[in-house]
Amino acid sequence: MPTPHTQMAESEPRQPLHAGLGWRHPHYAQLLEQRPALDFLEVHSENFFAAGGAALAVLERGRKLYPVSLHGVGLSLGSAAGVDPWHLDQLANLVERIDPVRVSDHASFARAPFGDRVVHAADLLPLPFTHEALDVLAANVQRVQDRLQRRFMVENISAYMQWNSAADQTLQETEFLNTLVRRTGCALLVDVNNIYVNALNAHKAGSCADPMAACKSWLEHIDPDAVEELHLAGHCNVNDAHGDIVIDDHGSRVSAPVWELYRHALTCFGAVPTLMEWDTAIPALDVLLDEVARARAVAEQTLGVAA
Amino acid sequence: MSTLAQQQQALVDALFAWPADDALNRLNAHCTGVGSQAQRGILAYQANGHALAERALQSAYPVVAQMLGAESFADLARALWHAHPPVRGDVAQWGGDLADFIAQSDQLQDEPFMPDVARVEWQLHCSATAHDQEADLASLALLTTEDPATLGLLLAPGTGCIRSAWPIASIWLAHTECTPSFAEVGTQLRARTAQDAVVWRQGLQPRLRLALPGEYAVLSALQAGTELEPAVAQASELDFTQWLPLAVQTGLVLGAYRISEERQP
Repeated sequence: MPTPHTQMAESEPRQPLHAGLGWRHPHYAQLLEQRPALDFLEVHSENFFAAGGAALAVLERGRKLYPVSLHGVGLSLGSAAGVDPWHLDQLANLVERIDPVRVSDHASFARAPFGDRVVHAADLLPLPFTHEALDVLAANVQRVQDRLQRRFMVENISAYMQWNSAADQTLQETEFLNTLVRRTGCALLVDVNNIYVNALNAHKAGSCADPMAACKSWLEHIDPDAVEELHLAGHCNVNDAHGDIVIDDHGSRVSAPVWELYRHALTCFGAVPTLMEWDTAIPALDVLLDEVARARAVAEQTLGVAA
Repeated sequence: MSTLAQQQQALVDALFAWPADDALNRLNAHCTGVGSQAQRGILAYQANGHALAERALQSAYPVVAQMLGAESFADLARALWHAHPPVRGDVAQWGGDLADFIAQSDQLQDEPFMPDVARVEWQLHCSATAHDQEADLASLALLTTEDPATLGLLLAPGTGCIRSAWPIASIWLAHTECTPSFAEVGTQLRARTAQDAVVWRQGLQPRLRLALPGEYAVLSALQAGTELEPAVAQASELDFTQWLPLAVQTGLVLGAYRISEERQP
């Protein structure tokens, strides 16, 4: 059993919290016009892979006003079929063009053979936390870092299924991610909502007695030096004829338990840049800015930092 | 094949095979679901894929979606998702197979113009993200000083010309700009009026209009890198001296260049 990492010492210097927003199409124009006080914008890299056109022009305007973090959803870092060279080329071009403050994607896979070709499932499909998967993930992350010539961030995902793998071949997710960091020098992007969604679903399946305690333990077992960004988002419960499941839909305000976990994450990791994501049923910009303000307030209450 | 590769192939099979029953049975050997029932998680991934397919296709093919109606279009999107899964991690790259897929669809044989409408919309979709190109109108002076047999025309990003046995420009314009009227389009459809449509990007805005007589041949030749003089000679019915000012004014032509300098993007 890995040892929990020591929480941030009281004597460490206080840093101001950098709070950002996931910048999506419905708010492209309004945000450029209003220029709200944000420390960074985060966009989905793939939405700007085009050689030209309106979306790229908007991003370049946004980049003149704010630092931009490029957050990918399609690199398929854990794929046994490897990273698509085309995808990596597009990302490298975008990184060169935008000069982002951070670049990230997920500890997941999407590419695999189907019929006579390798296809892309356009989703964040879970990896088994095995040594074999870790080898593949580490090799792909290293390839990306070598190409981009910069430290890359890898995010934990919400998983809606679990792989059956031999116990002696399987690591805890936190150990899996910490080992990835040690082997590649990459950083971690910790999505607090994803941890909670996974714990709730494990609870429904009868494998997690106390979701909040499990999430706090998860955070405590992550190497704090590796964490460069936190994500916050909403989730929903779907209960239909097929069953009862919690979905990370990014379609509502951050829930009270996730705010509590965010406080715990700040205690573990310090004033790490924090992003508010909202990707479905996107509300008015003011609602998102209100959530960003709340993240700043929570950081100030928790750490006493000037937000 | 490694265990990891087998696991990943099994999950992707379960997401794209249709019907998925056999693939789901194979996947069950590798995994368990989460939530209150074992298969619930896999259904969530399947539903994600279908919803994404509908959104992506709706974005690229708004007029086809309008013509088919929401329910039929959603069915079409899901069918294409399974028949032609994405191969890139940028979902905006997915959907280019729709025109051929519609052409082979038994259910859509009563609407034989639909594949060409889809071709037009895919050209518009690609035009929106084509490489930016600055206009160089001063270079048009070359047309008065140089031998046109040595010149090419610099065309707008995403320029394309689609030839159809159906009134595709009218169909698209009626659905997006209300001109011509649907009554006029109906008349043209009954008369099987053939049309060529010109697609280009004016600044950042994709555009479409009915091609002028002879314009399809000239634009096709110019796009193939043919010199101006032989390109214009492709279609005597196109009055180049009238066409050029219109093309420059609407951003279809951005400049001229010496073929030897290879300025065409």
